[in-house]
Amino acid sequence: MNWTTHAGPPSVHALGLAAAGTALLCAAAILPLDAPPLSLLACPFRSATGWPCLTCGCTHAFAAFVRLRPLTALEANPLGAALALLCAVHSVWTALRLFGLRLAPASFSATPRIRAAAAALLLANWAFVALHGPR
Amino acid sequence: MCGKPLVVPEQASAASTSFAGDVPAGAPALEPGTPWERRVELGSWRAWRDTVVEALFEPGRLFQDARIDRGAAQARFAVVTVTVFWIAGQMLERFLLRPWTQRAVAGIAVRGQFGSVVQKLMQIESDNSPRTAALMALLTPVVVLVTLYVNAAVTHLFAVLLGQNKRGFAATFTACAYAFAPLVLFAIPGCGAPIAVVWAAILTGIGLKHTHRIGPGGAAATVIAPYVLVC
Repeated sequence: MNWTTHAGPPSVHALGLAAAGTALLCAAAILPLDAPPLSLLACPFRSATGWPCLTCGCTHAFAAFVRLRPLTALEANPLGAALALLCAVHSVWTALRLFGLRLAPASFSATPRIRAAAAALLLANWAFVALHGPR
Repeated sequence: MCGKPLVVPEQASAASTSFAGDVPAGAPALEPGTPWERRVELGSWRAWRDTVVEALFEPGRLFQDARIDRGAAQARFAVVTVTVFWIAGQMLERFLLRPWTQRAVAGIAVRGQFGSVVQKLMQIESDNSPRTAALMALLTPVVVLVTLYVNAAVTHLFAVLLGQNKRGFAATFTACAYAFAPLVLFAIPGCGAPIAVVWAAILTGIGLKHTHRIGPGGAAATVIAPYVLVC
């Protein structure tokens, strides 16, 4: 299976997603977690039920990731750590494509098996956050 | 001539899972384009006005006409529309309605369980310096662009998970970009923002139905699932 494919310069959406990913990582690096605006973020699901939602802890995961503390990021929320890594990889790869790299990630079809596996991973992530995340 | 039936294969890559791609090269565009996508012939002001009016009152027609290979134009429409009206709303609220809203928010803070949060919000909003206004004007388009792409990415992720991704990320992005049109209501302080957000979510569903050519149930599930699972 080929993980990469030959491609031209990055598309508009590749650039837009890279810009958004870079902005999120920069915000995680600059903004303190214990001051507004990040300290104002409250999860309505947790407020209503007492249980964390699927993405509770993602802000802490991003903050830990950009401070090069991958284990802390994974502990805060594995999905958040994976998303932060994805943002970083996509941003760097898109920048390289802007400067002449002619390889892009290969597209793949989301078969029912892949979708079921992704849903199971999300469920496992939620269970991890519910059991080990901050209460 | 040869007697065999003509079989035209589907574009295999169109429904594949890629966040980075526009429409596959060479794919024919059958849609005429929204007024905003035809702004060269219509003029920018008329194109913008017609697009917003269609998005608000005839969304089915707008999304049927939308071309999914016009990502840059669609991003520009969303960023310009939301930025202008969001800044207008903030200015209106900041300079004209501040005493009234502060009294209302203080009342909520005394009654509700989010008193400390509301007090912090009031402290931030009480800064009326020119530096804050300039910072707000500079950061708003960036925040809108990031929100647009994060919204489209999350929606597309759920479209993929629920098996509703038929035409790729570009189709999801088209729906999300034009669904930002009701955010013109951000210019109305108070009730404008909540109405705009709900209207935008409904428009996203209508947009997904047309751009991905899926059923109304699948489109509704794709829009509602992130609100339920990802707060």
